[in-house]
Amino acid sequence: MANKADDPVAGVEKPPRVQSGCPVVHLDVSPALEAGSYWRKADELREAGQAFFNTMAQGYWMFTRYDEVREIYQHPEIFSSESITPWEPEPVYRFVPTQIDPPEHSKYRQLLSRWFAPAAVSEAGPAAEAICRRLIAQIVPSGGCDFVAEFAMRYPTEVFLTVIGLPASDADLFVPWVEDFFRGFGGDLAQQEAMAQALGGMRQYWVDALDERRDEPVPREGDLASHLLHATLDGESLGDTLILDILTVLVLAGLDTTRAELGYLFRHLATNPDDRRRLITEPELISSAVEETLRFYTIIFGDGRKVARDIEFHGCPLRKGDMVYGLVSGANRDPRVYDRADEFVLGRTANNHLGFAAGPHRCLGAHLARRVMKIAVEEWLKVIPDFRVATDAPLLERGGGSMMTLLTLPLAWEVTS
Amino acid sequence: MKITVLGDRCTGHGRCYSIAPDFLDYDDEGYVTIRDQIVDVPADQVAASRDAAKTCPEQAIGLLED
Repeated sequence: MANKADDPVAGVEKPPRVQSGCPVVHLDVSPALEAGSYWRKADELREAGQAFFNTMAQGYWMFTRYDEVREIYQHPEIFSSESITPWEPEPVYRFVPTQIDPPEHSKYRQLLSRWFAPAAVSEAGPAAEAICRRLIAQIVPSGGCDFVAEFAMRYPTEVFLTVIGLPASDADLFVPWVEDFFRGFGGDLAQQEAMAQALGGMRQYWVDALDERRDEPVPREGDLASHLLHATLDGESLGDTLILDILTVLVLAGLDTTRAELGYLFRHLATNPDDRRRLITEPELISSAVEETLRFYTIIFGDGRKVARDIEFHGCPLRKGDMVYGLVSGANRDPRVYDRADEFVLGRTANNHLGFAAGPHRCLGAHLARRVMKIAVEEWLKVIPDFRVATDAPLLERGGGSMMTLLTLPLAWEVTS
Repeated sequence: MKITVLGDRCTGHGRCYSIAPDFLDYDDEGYVTIRDQIVDVPADQVAASRDAAKTCPEQAIGLLED
């Protein structure tokens, strides 16, 4: 007796349904590859077509070009943030406000936006400069470093902790937690245990921090955890669970991302001496270098959303509950939008990149991230104007399922006495 | 020239007031202050306003030519 096509076969998963009219790919975005591989993959996909169905995990739709990616971001009523990882439609974690849809979303956002708004970031500027200078002063005499481990992981973490009113020295705790979390987040099932342990460690840190602040009559000045304990939403206290969901995602979204962009930016400066020298003689271009890094070296391979209702979207029959993946790396290098899309252009105008997403979930920490990156370039070039990548071996990047990030970046420079 | 920012589209990227810092300003939450207003563009801010409009990832900025 022949099996009918739909009959389950022991040990073999039912093949995912193949969508009408949409090219099918089988793309695993989790492995670490040579740096730049994920952007090349995004380029290939974008130029081969605007939409694909990826048969990884339960299967999900991928949209590869700028206009469609922005459209997904700008329509949360169709593309819900209930899950943002397309291979995990029912995530085990809950990020707030990341996974909250409008109209509720804006209430949560308002609790936080002032902490990361331009005025707050300007206030934190001198502290960030001091942290940056101290870390550079520590590494400069050795004539070289692993930029990722010795600078990029520490510096944004210490700045972030300072902004939310915690001791910068707690970076010793947060750096390994964030590393372990993102090892599992990108879809590598072997790393799920490390990811769960990291989440547990962070959560306990926040539980202790809340307990220490709980009975205080007024919020501590400049202390986000204390502020959230005193905040209300629709007239009610937030409660510990919600506060923990907020604090956890702030750490994850705030630390790993800036570190990753710093890695690619400094690799660019190490390997493009003309751009480096230009930033020394024309420091007013540093902001433009930061924006171009966020476009050209975007660390977001793609961003997931869950379809909230049946809809035909650019020829694809999406059904409620399907997952979609907007290929931000494809969008940011889309030649339909950018002149010289495949080049890093200092002083680029009209740089409307989606490196901080778009729509209501636009990166809350964008202003802080830009400032942290700008200060890093300013301070580094003052002390170490000439430097190079200290290896001929290919640099590896973490898979695009989390956010791409250089695993190491060995740099070297001459030490003058 | 006049400029306007659509309040329901602007999400506070801050690109416009970074490009035209002598013209556009931000509020406590990081939104540009001219949301849902129609404002005259000073002659020396026309070029910056055009760049700001093209740079806005939300396409929230409208320019009205005289």
